[in-house]
Amino acid sequence: MPGRTRPIDKFATAVGQCSKESAVYGKCILADYNNVHKDQCAVEFMKLKDCYLAAYKKR
Amino acid sequence: MNTLSVRAFIPPLTRRASPLRATRCYAMQAPGAPIVDIFSQQHKWMQKERAARDVETSRSVDYLRDEVASRLCERLMDINRPFPNVLDLGANACNIARQLTLPSEDSPDKGPRGSRIGKLTAAESSEALLFRDADLPFNKDIDIERQVLPASELLPFEPNTFDAVLSSLSMHWINDLPSVLAQVNSTLKPDSPFIGVMMGGDSLYELRTSLQLAEQERRGGVATHTSPLADVRDVGGLLQKAGFNLLTVDVDDIVVDFPDVFALMKDLQAMGESNAVISREKGPIQRDALLAAEGIYRALHGNEDGSLPATFRLIYMIGWKSSPTQAKPLERGTGMFSIKDYLEKNGGEKK
Repeated sequence: MPGRTRPIDKFATAVGQCSKESAVYGKCILADYNNVHKDQCAVEFMKLKDCYLAAYKKR
Repeated sequence: MNTLSVRAFIPPLTRRASPLRATRCYAMQAPGAPIVDIFSQQHKWMQKERAARDVETSRSVDYLRDEVASRLCERLMDINRPFPNVLDLGANACNIARQLTLPSEDSPDKGPRGSRIGKLTAAESSEALLFRDADLPFNKDIDIERQVLPASELLPFEPNTFDAVLSSLSMHWINDLPSVLAQVNSTLKPDSPFIGVMMGGDSLYELRTSLQLAEQERRGGVATHTSPLADVRDVGGLLQKAGFNLLTVDVDDIVVDFPDVFALMKDLQAMGESNAVISREKGPIQRDALLAAEGIYRALHGNEDGSLPATFRLIYMIGWKSSPTQAKPLERGTGMFSIKDYLEKNGGEKK
C-alpha cells in the first residue's frame, strides 16, 4: 500500500527509539524467566511505555 | 454462508422420534476417533488470498519457501527414475515448479532438475497465491497444470494416478493429517514415493516463548499466538499409519536473522502464515504485549550484532507406497552372518 504507513511500521519505528528501556525491561524478565508472574517488571515496563508513547506522539 | 436451519420448525415430538427410527433402520458403523479442528481453513484461505494480492510483497518473502522447495527437489533427484505424472500438494506459489526449472547446485551443467519430470499438477486451495506467478517465464520450461482445491483436506484425484507426490510447507495447516496422508497414499501408483516437508517441532520457538513471557508478565495469562506443530517422532507414526513403507524422516533447521520482531511478523503475514488457530484470541494482539515481547525477544534470544534469530525447523519425510515388487526386510532369524562379528572385524582393521 504505497503512500500510507502501516500501523505496524509506525509502531516499530517508535519502539526502535526506546531500545535502552526495552533492554532494561528484557533483562528484568530474563533475571527470573522461569517464574514470571503478572506485573513482575511493571516499573521497567512503564518506563518503556512512557518512552514509546513519547516517541509515537513525536511523529 | 447463511444456512437456514429447519430444525426449529420441526415439532419437538418428531425431532425426538426421528433419530430413534434411524438407529433402528440402519446398522451404522461406529465412527473413528473424533476429529477436532485446530486450524480454521477458511481463515487460512483468506490470509493466503490477501497476502497474494500484494504481489510484490508476497514475492519478496519467498526466500524461505524457495530454499525449502530447492532442498526438496534435491531429495527428489536422488531417486533415479522418470516421473511422468507428479502432484505438488499445497503448492503455495508453485515454488517447487520454479525450483524444478533451475539447474541443480550440485551439477549445474546437467540441465534443469525437472528433466525427468513429465507433467506437474500444482494443487492449492488459494487461487490468488496459486496463479500469482502464472505469467512468469519459468512456466514455459515445465509442463504445469494449476488446480484450485475446493477444500484443502480432500484430494479430488483418482487412485493410482501419480508417480510421485510432493508437498512443501503446507501440511502444517492441515487438521486431519492421517486422513490426508492416507488419501495421498491412495492417489499414488504402487511403489511410488511421497516426499513432503512441513514445519515442525520447535519452529519459531523464540517468538513463541517471548510472546508467552510477555503476556504472562503483562496480562497474567497466555493466549495462543503460534500453532501447535507436529514433532519428528509423530511424523514416522503418521506415515506408517497411512500405509507408507520404507520411511525416511529427517530434520533441518533454517535460522533467519531479522532486524526486529516486527519484521518477522510482517514477513510471516506476507507469506500468509499468520495465526489461524481456531481458539486464537480474536482481534489484534495487545500493544502492551507486543511492546514487551520485543524487549524479551532481544534479551532472551538476540544475537550479539543486534539482530533477532528465528528458527524454522523443517521435517522432511519420504514414504513409499507399498507394492509386491518392493524390497522387503528379511524375516527374523534368516541372517547368515553375525553382524557383531563383522563389525568387530572391520572396526579392528580400521584402527
